[in-house]
Formats: sequence, structure tokens, C-alpha cells
Amino acid sequence: MRLVWLAVLAALAAQSAETRDQGRTPSPVASFAADPLPSTYRPLPREDVLIVDATLLDGVGAKLADADILLRDGKIANIGTNLARPDGVKVVEAAGRWVTPGLIDVHTHNGTFTLPLVFEDPPTWDVSEMSSPNVAETSVDHAINARDPGFILALQGGVTTLQVLPGSAPVFGGRSVVLKTIPGRTVQDMKFPGAQQGLKMACGENPKGNWGSKGQAPTSRQGEVAMMRAAWLGAREYMRTWNHYLAENHEDARDPRERGPGGRERRDRPPPARDLQLDTLAAVLNGEVRVHLHCYSSDDIAVMLAIADEFGFRIAAIHHAVEAYKIADRLAAANVCAAVWPEWWGFKMEAFDGIKENAAFVDAAGACAVMHSDSPFIGQHLALEAAKAVAAGRRAGLDLGRERGIAWITSNPARALGLEDRIGRLAPGYNADVVVWSGDPFSIYSKADQVYVDGALAFDRADPKRQPESDLLLGHPARETRK
Amino acid sequence: MSPRVAMAAAVLAMASLPVLGETIAIVDATVHTMTQEQPLRNATVLVRDGRIEGVGANLPVPSGARVIEGRGRIVTPAFMNSATQLGLTEVSSISAASDATVSSGQLGAAFDVRYALNPRSLAIRQARVDGLSRAIAYPGGSAGAPFAGLGALLHVARDEAVVEQPGIAMFAQVGGETSTAAGGSRSAQWQLIRNALEEARLQRGSARSSPRDSFLARIDLAALKPVAEGMLPLVVDADRESDIRQAIALARDRKVRIIVKGGVEAWRAAADLAAANIPVVLDPSINLPLYFDHLGARADNAALLHAAGVLIAFEVSSIHTTFNAGFALRDVAGLAVANGLAHRDALAAITVNPARIWKIEDRYGVIAAGREADLLVWDGDPFEPMSSLVAVLAQGREVDLTTRQILLRDRYLPGEKEQLPPAYRRSE
Repeated sequence: MRLVWLAVLAALAAQSAETRDQGRTPSPVASFAADPLPSTYRPLPREDVLIVDATLLDGVGAKLADADILLRDGKIANIGTNLARPDGVKVVEAAGRWVTPGLIDVHTHNGTFTLPLVFEDPPTWDVSEMSSPNVAETSVDHAINARDPGFILALQGGVTTLQVLPGSAPVFGGRSVVLKTIPGRTVQDMKFPGAQQGLKMACGENPKGNWGSKGQAPTSRQGEVAMMRAAWLGAREYMRTWNHYLAENHEDARDPRERGPGGRERRDRPPPARDLQLDTLAAVLNGEVRVHLHCYSSDDIAVMLAIADEFGFRIAAIHHAVEAYKIADRLAAANVCAAVWPEWWGFKMEAFDGIKENAAFVDAAGACAVMHSDSPFIGQHLALEAAKAVAAGRRAGLDLGRERGIAWITSNPARALGLEDRIGRLAPGYNADVVVWSGDPFSIYSKADQVYVDGALAFDRADPKRQPESDLLLGHPARETRK
Repeated sequence: MSPRVAMAAAVLAMASLPVLGETIAIVDATVHTMTQEQPLRNATVLVRDGRIEGVGANLPVPSGARVIEGRGRIVTPAFMNSATQLGLTEVSSISAASDATVSSGQLGAAFDVRYALNPRSLAIRQARVDGLSRAIAYPGGSAGAPFAGLGALLHVARDEAVVEQPGIAMFAQVGGETSTAAGGSRSAQWQLIRNALEEARLQRGSARSSPRDSFLARIDLAALKPVAEGMLPLVVDADRESDIRQAIALARDRKVRIIVKGGVEAWRAAADLAAANIPVVLDPSINLPLYFDHLGARADNAALLHAAGVLIAFEVSSIHTTFNAGFALRDVAGLAVANGLAHRDALAAITVNPARIWKIEDRYGVIAAGREADLLVWDGDPFEPMSSLVAVLAQGREVDLTTRQILLRDRYLPGEKEQLPPAYRRSE
């Protein structure tokens, strides 16, 4: 067992220059993010494709007319006008059609909120472990039903990458997982190779409402924050203990001459007890796991930014940040994304001040605006969400175009996931996650004609052979059309 | 005409007295009159004293009229949402600010939302600015399941008298998601509905009814009597085909006027719904099986129903039922068009069709002389998310488009570099 655990710790963090200068072997730093359920994803069978004469939004601010884009070996190989048509490359005529990066949804509960869902049926409901307000030890990928039709519906809507998050009742909801929308046999077949896991956290009304109503802590916002700070203190101590242990053993191994009396005993000291809950929190503190925080109000968001400073970690994204527009400058300064809906407001007090211009104001402040779904309905229409938010910003007098708004569902969510060097952008070297739209993606009448994931045609509206259907929807008489 | 109906008609006549206002001419517009197949191009809509005086090309503009330059912009009737909880819910998470539903107490079918409706609701103001003329406010449930109680017709565009017609329909809920309150089976829901209508029928013309044989209280029977007599529609909130067919059977057996709400699998019974003259109020964006009763969900439900001759009207789901009752209608209508419904027919499902379903076509739903001037001016296709409303006319008067959301927007507008905190930024 100990060997297994040491193998888990094998990942080494970068060492200080000072240590290197002294010619000493770097001492290992504990890694807490090992994935016991590794990805088995393989791209679908693919051929090289040249999409020609499209209107192209590159995801980072450019709009190109009559553009060609070459997908080769799963990567974007070239973008330009009148590209050469190499032999053996399939040409897709896209005159009148638009091309964007594959869309990215940073907030879904697909696979745990499985369709057809039954709200009050515990055997089919796995959004969160609900036994404690701190279930940081859980990983949502241990619960995912890969046959949820929500994945395929997202794919049909042009989404190529999505994150599944635990719910917002726990303060520490556990680890998230980043998936490709390829309908695999198991969640492992869908896991985005190399994507960092996230930790779902929640502040505000949901945790205190859930636990407080059961007579448990936290019953208040201050209780939530105290619970968080206590947990981070514990995680810091845990991380120190592990790093100290590794450094000591490493020292022994490095220089046998220093083995004095007791050296052997020290080397053979058993490792500290491993704690799955603290593993997750320590993995946040050392930057291996990204924090995705459910937080509506500007007050709560500001407190969370301060807590992140106190313990030295970064929040990747504030989700459902309905009041982000009130503190957009602080989000920009902290390099934290705000994932929002365009028009949700009113359903609870912390959502009362929702305005349609939220994403546009976050963007105007130089912060990272993201549109998210939280729903398999909205998850099919992310471009519609971005369009509504762009239109609101324009009404408020901001100079906003489609080329900017598309970033909110492509390159910005890629930043939130730490995948900005691989997806969310049409540029040579990026993964060939590409959508060919029937028209302007910001029109409600447009549809994703073709969706490529890693260069493979995963969905084609014109080809039934490329239209996956979930096991769960197969063979139901209610879905049959009359012959 | 029964005394009750006569009284209602009198109330309506009073409510629809002309409103004094300025004369407005919307010129050079593309006008979706909803009386013709195609919109009128380069047309003028003339509004006087709260009513439409005329619509057409080459209408003379009277001197003194205020002119709204259309510049080819689109004019439509203001919309109607056929199933909202406007005026009943201020904040859904706060029970003290929610009046849509009772789950205990004495009231079953008699539960009537009319006394709770709040014309000063923020959500109503928002809906008006988002283009709503009319809405049905429906009860979310009563202590006498499967009946939810009596809903009301709201005239959202009318500031002072939002409640236009209380008691416009009886609502009942049937299906797997609502059967618990009736004991756990939809069969019980149907038995209770049939029994209640039978009790109400037997009560008709007879003061004597044996309490021992009656499940229902006097007040609930009184509320159900006009339903049993075919005078008041029964809105059956159901999604599964089997329940929709039960509703059709009920209409046939009991001569009850049925409106189906929900109707996720209604496309499966489209021909029979059309034959029974039963309208369907649906959210056409529901294309996936959220519940088992939705297994047959299809994106082209609206298109299939319309093609079969069913009169359709639209509602919206989730939080939008209250908080974006106007705004979200655009999305769902657009998605219906994206999935096979003609644009004109989608527009009809939020204007003239609900006017017919709720029997207010004498005053609402089309742009024609004599009708109320609840009108919308758009800078593009109303269903496109990038389009915006540029003017809202309610009862012939241009509505101030400022809402609480706009005040918040202006307070936090980017580029404001004032020294004082936002709380000092007061609008004039």
C-alpha cells in the first residue's frame, strides 16, 4: 500500500532556483491530485477535413469572411482564404455557414441529474453527496451515468467540452470532472485527458439553507466562511506535514553519509495518514485542482476573493455570479472568471439584482465573462445565451460584436478550465474542436450542422450515422412516430 | 346568459372603456397585423385614445399626432403568455412573498388567486417592458388536489387595473409529478376530477345533497359548478399522452370545455385534440424528457400540433414563468420556428391564438381598427435574441422602459468613475 501511495506522490513540482544553485537534488513536493479513474478517451475515427468559404469566429475576437480551416490529425493545421486543397483531404463546402470553436459549458450536472430524472428518487439522483457540508473527498466522476441524453443534446448544440460539477448544498461539494461530449460507454471514455479537476464550493443561501434547515452548521453566511477557513487551515497543515515528510525522507535518500543515529528510524518513519478530504483541499492550495465557486451576491464574492488571498489559492470561476457586474473590476484584478446566465433574476434574494447586461459589464471591465447552462435545456443553446447578453450590452451603449460574445462560450470558459492552450480557439495547433453552423450562431434559427471533436465528426445533422442516440431513449413507444 | 356571466360582461365593458391619450402614428413600419397572412410593408398604425384607429399603407397622419418613425421596423401586437404566476410571486424562495399555491387549509377547487394579485409586482413591471399585454396567472396547487383552483386573466399593459378577469378558468394537475397529493396515482387524479364534476352536476338545480355522499365542500362544489355546466374551461395540466387522451375523453363524456396545459406529448394525440377542439398551451422549447411523463418530448411538438389543426398558445418554464414571462416568450417562439412552425404561426401562438382560447379576441390579439393599442415596435425580428424592443405602447400610451433592472444597469454602467459609491448615483 505504501508503495502505491509513494507512486501517487511521484509527480514533482518545480523547485526553487536556490536549491538548484546549491547543486542539491530537488526535494519532492506532495501531489494530491492523482486520478484514480483515469481517462480512457480515444478520438473517434477521423479523416483530415478542409472546411471552405465559411464566416469564421475564432473565439478570441476575430471574424473572418470566406475563410477556410484545415483540420489535420485532430488539430487545427491552418486557417486562411483559398487554402490549397491537399489530396486525401475531405472538403466541406460552408458558403453561407459559420464556423466557431466547439462550445464549452463550465457548469452542467449531466450524468448525475440524469434524464429522465426523478427529483425525489434518491437511487437515480447523484448531484451531491448530502451527508455533510464538507464532502471534498467525493469525486463526481464516480457517479456519472454516461448514458444521460444530456451529453448528446449538448453535442448537438455545438458543445464539445463540458464540466460536470457537484451541487451547491455542500460548502465543499467535491471534485468536478471535465468531459468531452463524445458519448462514451463509461465516464472514463469521455474524460478530457490532462484536464485539471475542479473543486466545487458554494457560498450564500444554498448551503446555509440546506444545513441550517436540518439544525446543522452552517446556519449563516459567517458560519459558511468560518467552516471554509477552518478547512483551509487544516489543509495547509496537512500539506506541510506531507511536504515535510517527503523532504526528510528525500534528504536521507540523497546522502547516505548524513545518516546518523536515528537516520534509519527517520527514513522508516511511516508516512502521515492520508485523508481524502484534505487531499482535495491541499490540491487546491498547491494549484493542482481549480476552484469553481457557486456564489451569487457581490458581498459573498468579495468575501471569497479575500479568503482565497488569505490562503493563497486562486478561484478559477465564480458560477451563477448574478451580481458580478457590481464588482467586475475586482474580478478582473483577481483574474477570476464570472460564469453567468443572461436573464435569470428574482427567484431568490441573492438573485434579485440580476440584470441582462451582467456578462457585458464583466467583459467591459476586462474580466473573463462566461455563459454557463446549469440545465440540459440551456446547454443546447449556449450561443443563444451569449446573444442575449451581447444584445443587452449593446443596448447599454457598449461596442460589442459577435466576435467578442463568442469568447464567452469558447476561449473564456477554456480559461476557466485551464485549457486555454488547447481548446476554445481556432488557431493552428489547437485541438480541432470545431462547429459548422447552418448560419449566424447568434440567430435562434441556426443549428449546428457539424460538430468535430479532436478532428472527428461527432455529429452531423445531415447524416444519421453521425447522430448518436442514448440507450436511455432507445425503444420507448412514446418516442415512436407513426409509420 | 346566466347572471354571473352577465355581470362579468358588464365588468368587462366597463374595463374596456377608451383611455384618453395622445394620438400616435407609427409610420413606415412592417406591421404584423395577425389578420392577414403576410405583414403589411411601409404601413402606418394610427392610435388614438388608447385604441387602434386604423392600419394600412397610405393612411393620412392627423395633424398634432406624435409620429414614431418606423424606418422599416417591425410592429406586432403586444404578447400574451398563457400560463404565468405574475403578480402571485415576488421572490420564489420566500414563502411570505409567494401566494401562488396553498398546500394545506380548507380550499380545494375554490382556491382563487384573485385576492392575492399584486399590480405593483416587479415581475409585472418587467413583463410589461418586455412586451407582454396579457397573461394568465394560474394557481400552483390547492389543498384539494388534483384541482389547483381558479386562475385570472391579467392585463399586464394596464398599470392601474392589472386584474382584468378573475376566475377565468379552473386548473387541475394530472401526472406522475403531481399525483402524490392525490394519493400517488394519476388514476386517482382522474377519478377525483370525474367525481367532482359529477357532484357539481348533481348539485345543479337541487339544494339537497347528502353530505355523506360528497367528497367536496360546498365552496369547492360552487367553484366547479360552472365547469360542470361547460361555462368555465378546465385547464388540465398534463404531459403524458395517456393523460391527454383522458382529457379528451372527459371533454366528450362530460361536455366540459378543456384546455390542455403542458402537453409535452400532445403531438401524439394531435388529430384527436383537433377533432375535440381542445387547445394546447405549451412550452415549445421542451425537447428532452425531464420527467417520465415527457418521454415523448420533441422539438417540433408545436409544429406538429399546428399542422394537425390544434389551436396552440405558448407558455415558458422554470423561473421564467414568473420572472421572464415576457422576455422568455421570444426564445420559445423562435425555437418553435427553428423546428418547423411558420414564423406567422409562432407569432399567433403569443397573440391572436391565446385571444381566441381565452375569449378576448374582441379587444386583443390583432392590429385592427377598434382594438386596444397594446403594440410593440422592434428593431428586428422579435424572435431573434439580438433584436430589441424600441417602443412599447400600452393602451395607446408609450411605456417608460425604465425598470428596476435598468436603474441597476445605469448605476453600474462601465466607465462611471465617480468618487462616491454607486448608492449615490440616483436617477433623475
